[in-house]
Amino acid sequence: MSDFDSALKIFAQEAEQLLQDMESALLTLETDPNDGETINSLFRAMHTIKGSAGLFGFNPIVAFTHEAESVLDKVRNGEQAIDAGLISVLLDSKDHTAKLVEHCLNCPDAALPDELAATSSSLIQRLTGKSPAHTLQSTDIPSPLLSEGGGNMSLDDSWLISLDFKYDALRNGMDPLSFLRYLKTLGEIKDILTFFPDMPQDAEMNPESCYLHFKIAFNSDASKQTIEAVFEFAADDCDIKILPPNSKVNDYLQLLDALDEDHVSRLGDMLLQIGALTANDVTHALNRQARARQTDMEPVKPIGEILIEQQVVQQPVVDQALKKQEQTKQKVAAESNYIRVDAGKLGHLINLVGELVISSAAMNLIVDRHGLSDAGDVAASMNSLVNAIRDTALELRMVQIGETFSRFRRVVRDVSNELGKEIELKIYGGETELDKTVVEKINDPLTHLIRNSLDHGIESPEQRLAAGKPAQGSVQLNAYHESGHIVIQIADDGAGLDSEKIVAKAIANGLIKPDHGLSQQEIYNLIFAAGLSTKEQATNLSGRGVGMDVVKKNIEALRGSVSIASFPGEGTTISIKLPLTLAIIDGFMVGANEVRYIIPLNMVDECIEMDARECEINETEHYINLRGHALPYLRLGDYFHDPKTESAKKRESVVVVKFGQDKAGLVVDALHGEHQTVIKPLGKLFEKLKCITGATVLGDGNVALILDVQGLIETAITRRKRTAAPPA
Amino acid sequence: MSNLIRKESAGNALAVQEQVGQYLTFLVDKESFAVSILDVKEIIEIANITHVPLTPDYIHGVINLRGNVVPVIDLCARLKHHPAEVSKRSCIVLVEVEVAEGTQHIGMLVDEVREILEIPPTNIQPAPDFGTDIRTDFIRAMARVDEVFIILLAINKVLSLEELSQLGRIADAQAGHTGEQAALIN
Repeated sequence: MSDFDSALKIFAQEAEQLLQDMESALLTLETDPNDGETINSLFRAMHTIKGSAGLFGFNPIVAFTHEAESVLDKVRNGEQAIDAGLISVLLDSKDHTAKLVEHCLNCPDAALPDELAATSSSLIQRLTGKSPAHTLQSTDIPSPLLSEGGGNMSLDDSWLISLDFKYDALRNGMDPLSFLRYLKTLGEIKDILTFFPDMPQDAEMNPESCYLHFKIAFNSDASKQTIEAVFEFAADDCDIKILPPNSKVNDYLQLLDALDEDHVSRLGDMLLQIGALTANDVTHALNRQARARQTDMEPVKPIGEILIEQQVVQQPVVDQALKKQEQTKQKVAAESNYIRVDAGKLGHLINLVGELVISSAAMNLIVDRHGLSDAGDVAASMNSLVNAIRDTALELRMVQIGETFSRFRRVVRDVSNELGKEIELKIYGGETELDKTVVEKINDPLTHLIRNSLDHGIESPEQRLAAGKPAQGSVQLNAYHESGHIVIQIADDGAGLDSEKIVAKAIANGLIKPDHGLSQQEIYNLIFAAGLSTKEQATNLSGRGVGMDVVKKNIEALRGSVSIASFPGEGTTISIKLPLTLAIIDGFMVGANEVRYIIPLNMVDECIEMDARECEINETEHYINLRGHALPYLRLGDYFHDPKTESAKKRESVVVVKFGQDKAGLVVDALHGEHQTVIKPLGKLFEKLKCITGATVLGDGNVALILDVQGLIETAITRRKRTAAPPA
Repeated sequence: MSNLIRKESAGNALAVQEQVGQYLTFLVDKESFAVSILDVKEIIEIANITHVPLTPDYIHGVINLRGNVVPVIDLCARLKHHPAEVSKRSCIVLVEVEVAEGTQHIGMLVDEVREILEIPPTNIQPAPDFGTDIRTDFIRAMARVDEVFIILLAINKVLSLEELSQLGRIADAQAGHTGEQAALIN
């Protein structure tokens, strides 16, 4: 039972994945209807779902997908053109299939509800109604290739048939001539050679025995199978070899190229499939190979060589088939290079790697403390291995963001239809990788932001034309790496944010006072406050329970940040900045007031000595002169703890941190250097704490806190503002 | 069938109530408190506690408990509003509290762990409405042991994460940080 359940689970996952692929393939086809590979993948998706559903006896799915599959098969064979109408029917079919799968998984024994059954039949109607009535025998070799024959042919264009009758042929009632006569019904015998090399001397010759051998040059359009069928009855009493004409070789090569690459087939099967061999040829060759293997008399030859020796197929065809086989093998190997792994197992592995990192740090500490120089080498090499393991383990969970992005193509398509807007989704940087756990959590906020752009950002075509913009709006999804973070941008070329409306709404909601004196940027940031929507009438797109405040909260929960840039009439760009991973980071350990803190290494720009003479330090204004630039700084110890007395101050250092375009200095007492930091969550208790993002366990068992540099600086700026200008 | 089970479990609950409860007693600022032994995960000695900056007094810091970072609440500061003096006898009582996402371990810094007492239900009385210097909702009940009253703490109130983190925000704001909206209003 549990086996069956897990198989069902795999079916569900597989079906979901395939339908997803199908959707993106369909959307690709919308822009590029001639993409053969995409059409193939569509067909495969339906075909695989049909097959798997059949295994579980989900008849409604089989019945429905069969129809879709047949239509796609026709498209694949070029019998039916794919157009916008068909694509949208297929999209509906995809949705319907998903529903069917869900129904079958939930109540496998229940009959199909009327509603679903009705949709099934109406979709089948739509699918097949448009397709031509004739059916296709896909196993047929396309006819144009064979009809090239005709006309004036030299021997080169002839089939070479050699018939070696056995002695008993006549006794068994065979009449060689009758075969030749019958052969003539299929084509023209250009030439015939009759010879009898093994005919014994007069006396020994038995008139009842047959010593005849024929070599026939034969012109015909018939396939090899048909020709072989002529001699079907003689097969036991005659060695038949049929070599295709040389002109056919090219056809075979082409056919080989067009052969489906879904699975590795044996050489014989491939040649059989394209019609270069008949089943008999293959059987004979295999028998001969088997005999050779048994007797050990001659080296076992590959089947291809045997076939050539037997003169049933030409060398180039075999070579090409072998090449094809090799390609297919490689392709299949590449496909099977992926392993589906339970995400829980990966998570466990990464946790273990985290513990490994901590204990390796502990070991290094002890080796250092005891000054064991010989153990130091071992520790160092182990350390670098642990580093490599850490990186590899984290990489395991890295996935490309493209898949997430392309899901939105459907959203954009549906929503823009619904809203009566023309909107194009452009995707850039889909190959950017980030942690799977982050990808999963970013999906909802992204959906919301994109819906916002579609609904509130892009204007209706009339408004756009009136504003002198093309009627078609565009939404861009862009992802790229920036200093250890991934940045995801959602940009639209719509109307931009209406700051007056936002302000009016915010005042109405009591968020700000009428005399707010806020900067433009601060006004834009108001849209992240709870309960603010500038759209006058709510559509069914808004009100999904995820507001902009939730978006911001979700992103901040991932240690990310979100920012907004908007220009009236030009559009709005929302940038989400996220850490690449949630588990382990490279950190830089500093000490302030005997307490150790970790700064994420990718935020550290440089470290300089806090020297009053070299950098001009302004103690009252809190900035230093860093190579001609004023760098604001923060004394970490004073900020977090009670200010130290002047005399206690030792040599101090400034860690210059950068976040986005800004830089700031953190003044610390000690620099402890780089430290692999396994992020341990601090839990709910500290979630409101802005300047600390998490904690880590050091090698000596102590806990060190990880600084949220951005939060820290923002907090400091707010505090500065408050002290500088007392609240009104 | 399901009715039967319900009856049975109701019977069990009754039995538990009638059973003599076990309580761990400890000292905070020379006063005895107790928590049900069922709430206690373990008692650990004071190791290196890392102070978390910009938090109120009652958040004593965080410790490393076998690879997990666990917050430690200073019970003295929480109950008596002045920080505890850490001595040789100070201990951390680790308890488990329910939160929305599951359970979270929290350590309570106490001055001294005394003993495990068995207190019959007859000796447990409801909390008085006034007369203690401790917030009444922190008191689950009063237990009479040898003519002395011990306060049984309501752990989920004392260590209410919503309240602790909320107060943390206020302290944070006092330290200079403000929430975004607060800043905008000002």
